Amino acid sequence: MIVWENMSSQTAKAPQTRFRKRDLFYLMPLWLISLIAPDPYLYHKKEFKKKELFYLAAICFAPLIWSDSHFHHLMVLAGIYAILALGLSLFMGYAGQISLGHAAFFGIGAYTTAILTTRYAVPTFLAFWASALSAALIAHLIGRPILKLKGYFLALATLGFGEIFLVIVRESTSLTGGVIGIFGIPWFSVMGFSFDTYLKQYYLAWGMVTGLFIFSKNLVRSKVGRALLAVGASEDAASSVGINVSKTKLEIFDLGAAFAGWAGSLFACIMSTASPEAFSLGFTILIVMMVILGGMGNLYGPIAGAILLTWLMDILSKYQEYSLPVYSVILILLLIFFPDGVGTRLNVRIIYLIGYWAKKKKRDKGKL
Amino acid sequence: MDLWSYIPQLLFSGLTIGAIYALVALGFVTISRASQIINFAQGEFVMLGGVITYFLLNGAKLPYPLAALIAILIVMLIGFAMHLSILYPLRKASVLILIMATLGASIFLSSTSGLVFGTLPKTLPPFSGGEPLRIGKISFPSQSLWVLLSTFILLIFLYLLSHRTLLGKAMEASSTDPLGADLLGISRNLMVFLAFGVSAGVGAFGGILITPVFFTSYSSGALLGLKGFIAAVLGGWGKNTGAILGGFVLGIVESLSLAFIPSGYKDGVAFVILLFILYFRPKGILGSPFIDSRRW
Amino acid sequence: MALLSTEEIIKEYDGIRALDRISLKVEKGSIKGLIGPNGAGKSTLFHLISGVEKPDSGKIYFKGKEIRFLEPHERSALGIGRTFQTLQVWGNMTVVENIMAGMNRRLKGGYLSCGLRFPWIRKSENEVLKEAKEILDSLGLLGKWESLASQLPYGKQKLLELGRALAMKPELLLLDEPASGLTLAEIEQLSQHITKVRQEGVTVFIVEHHMGMVMEIADEIAVLHNGELIAEGRPEAVRMNPRVIEAYLTRRGGK
Repeated sequence: MIVWENMSSQTAKAPQTRFRKRDLFYLMPLWLISLIAPDPYLYHKKEFKKKELFYLAAICFAPLIWSDSHFHHLMVLAGIYAILALGLSLFMGYAGQISLGHAAFFGIGAYTTAILTTRYAVPTFLAFWASALSAALIAHLIGRPILKLKGYFLALATLGFGEIFLVIVRESTSLTGGVIGIFGIPWFSVMGFSFDTYLKQYYLAWGMVTGLFIFSKNLVRSKVGRALLAVGASEDAASSVGINVSKTKLEIFDLGAAFAGWAGSLFACIMSTASPEAFSLGFTILIVMMVILGGMGNLYGPIAGAILLTWLMDILSKYQEYSLPVYSVILILLLIFFPDGVGTRLNVRIIYLIGYWAKKKKRDKGKL
Repeated sequence: MDLWSYIPQLLFSGLTIGAIYALVALGFVTISRASQIINFAQGEFVMLGGVITYFLLNGAKLPYPLAALIAILIVMLIGFAMHLSILYPLRKASVLILIMATLGASIFLSSTSGLVFGTLPKTLPPFSGGEPLRIGKISFPSQSLWVLLSTFILLIFLYLLSHRTLLGKAMEASSTDPLGADLLGISRNLMVFLAFGVSAGVGAFGGILITPVFFTSYSSGALLGLKGFIAAVLGGWGKNTGAILGGFVLGIVESLSLAFIPSGYKDGVAFVILLFILYFRPKGILGSPFIDSRRW
Repeated sequence: MALLSTEEIIKEYDGIRALDRISLKVEKGSIKGLIGPNGAGKSTLFHLISGVEKPDSGKIYFKGKEIRFLEPHERSALGIGRTFQTLQVWGNMTVVENIMAGMNRRLKGGYLSCGLRFPWIRKSENEVLKEAKEILDSLGLLGKWESLASQLPYGKQKLLELGRALAMKPELLLLDEPASGLTLAEIEQLSQHITKVRQEGVTVFIVEHHMGMVMEIADEIAVLHNGELIAEGRPEAVRMNPRVIEAYLTRRGGK
């Protein structure tokens, strides 16, 4: 059993349990998740692992294996959120900051694309880049004063910014269509090839995810990544080796916003509408949870978190009005039990849990 | 001309809502002084106060004062439960996790309230009849007077509690110097636990006061909580007096802004004020820097 | 001309003078010690020199330039490196990455070139890795180069911080209590490293409580007490200075 394999390399002694078929059923999905979100402390290993090829293949072939259109739709959304979470994870997980207003950049991207394509007939491909640019620009403007703050104050300031964005969007009806939003955004298209089915959109979104992932990975393994981690761990030490802390923070904030802008643009083209309700605080909470649950400080985390939470939302939506209460309870439980990510040392934790459970059974049996 | 005649009216409604912001802000400061946690679910306590009272009044047909009292007690219990189930397990977690946990709690409370009590906005009967009073050209609901009066009484009560009773002094000690208080045998966790109850109660009280004037529905908690927090930062973070001052200032400024900008932007005013304060004077008006004693 | 000199530095915190008209010089190529009872203001002076805090009045000159108004990272760019009294190793990176990050200032490349991993970035990364490993080797830390910095024992982390400061090839190295928490063997090792560093041309300014170590390696010692400079000179002279002895033996803050 591969579970035992991992265990022998990571813990000293094996728990004395008998493995029943039932346990397999519980463990398999957990083990699969632990594959997806590897131990973040190994992120610095630079070799191109076989695992990454496996993920790439999985992404390429998954929609062909499950050709259910609902699955495709879900994965398209997951891909878009993954882009969003990836950008946010660079800002939060690596540089150690907090942003509770990131949905605003997502919204800026979506609305930029919406306005440009519906009113000025700008081709979606150009609007796509313009979205990222506008998001990054606004991030640059507000980032300068805001990033001087730390901790709760930074969180609050970004939250305030997010709310202001929402208010402005809701009120400027001429520009943004107010509460109703903008309709009729065309499909994303490049040189005549239009992404009009979920399948095509899937490859578009996940192609972007792969590209941005490689880009981020290169960043993280270079001086930029080290500067981010340095600023996240100790700003004083970072400035003592010549790293310009405020510039570093501002730059990564801009990049995170640009990612969000791209994601927003894709979102607008796929949903064909842009309306304010999609960009509220609740959505920001969702994205931040994706970053946290995947494990801060590694790049697989936000992607895994995005997939996980998108599926979760889909499952919960079947429960209608119970969905939010259940969702919030799950969030809180995950925060209490997995604050450093669901995948972190999951295999170790599972082993520990099995061992504990088995010992408990033995104790109970002994008492009888 | 026309604009200026509205000013006194707006001023008064600003005072009224300001009193509520002050109460919410007070709730924030109470918890954060005891535990350096910012409880984003504070606004939900306000909402629950109003909603539960409505339910007890109309559903269980209890007399008004009894319904109010029981509602406050229930919300205090919810506050205690929140501490025990969420914040005690997370007492050593990072700032981000704590923020997310309290946000999660806020979602839970508001959505469950919508589930259990329905999503329609609720209102309560004003304390003393429905006729608006008139002073000169200004007419205002009599409830506003009740709001101001009750807030004043509550503040005196809280002051006496924290300065004249042993328990209150223990809570003050724990928040000013946690280690020292710990060495004297004051259990920090117990103080935080109580702080949650007090904040919840204060919030619920505010909710009952304000529902007759402004409707309360399951979703009004979030915005109220945020504005209360902004009021606390505005007035001077970490101080009770700051919270109260900030609440009134925010209420008045927000209300007066209606004279000058379209009404839809009203909610944005508070956040603009927030950004200004954080940028120019994070200490707030009465200024006392937010010292995170846990981190030291 | 002295490499570093301060003129009449005054720093107050809430009305209490942490530093009262401090003027001292550090000569190029020397090792200067800064000692004094706890709370005398030694770390404050370091914060002022490295830029974390700004003095209320007075001037600071480095290589002849007034650096009072420069940001900390600009001062580092000029050639001031430091270690911290509270260990500030980057625990979220590996040991070798800590050193590599110390060299960031000397590397070229922005978001675009790093993100797309141009060939010259790849080459530069390899060079940086090699150099970082050399630094680790000279400090005896090469064995654990790939482990997470927070997993090193305390003494090794202090050495790592020294290595990181050295990685940016500073001209002036500010060491803030590098020997605190170290065993005697480690302190001996540290002294050897510091003298080796001086041989390579780096000027060292060190705050330290461990008298034996400071007296041994320093060329000159300055003594702070209650924010005042009460003695400055060769170690033997300072050791005999009656004011210094009184400052250490008596607990009263009187002059």
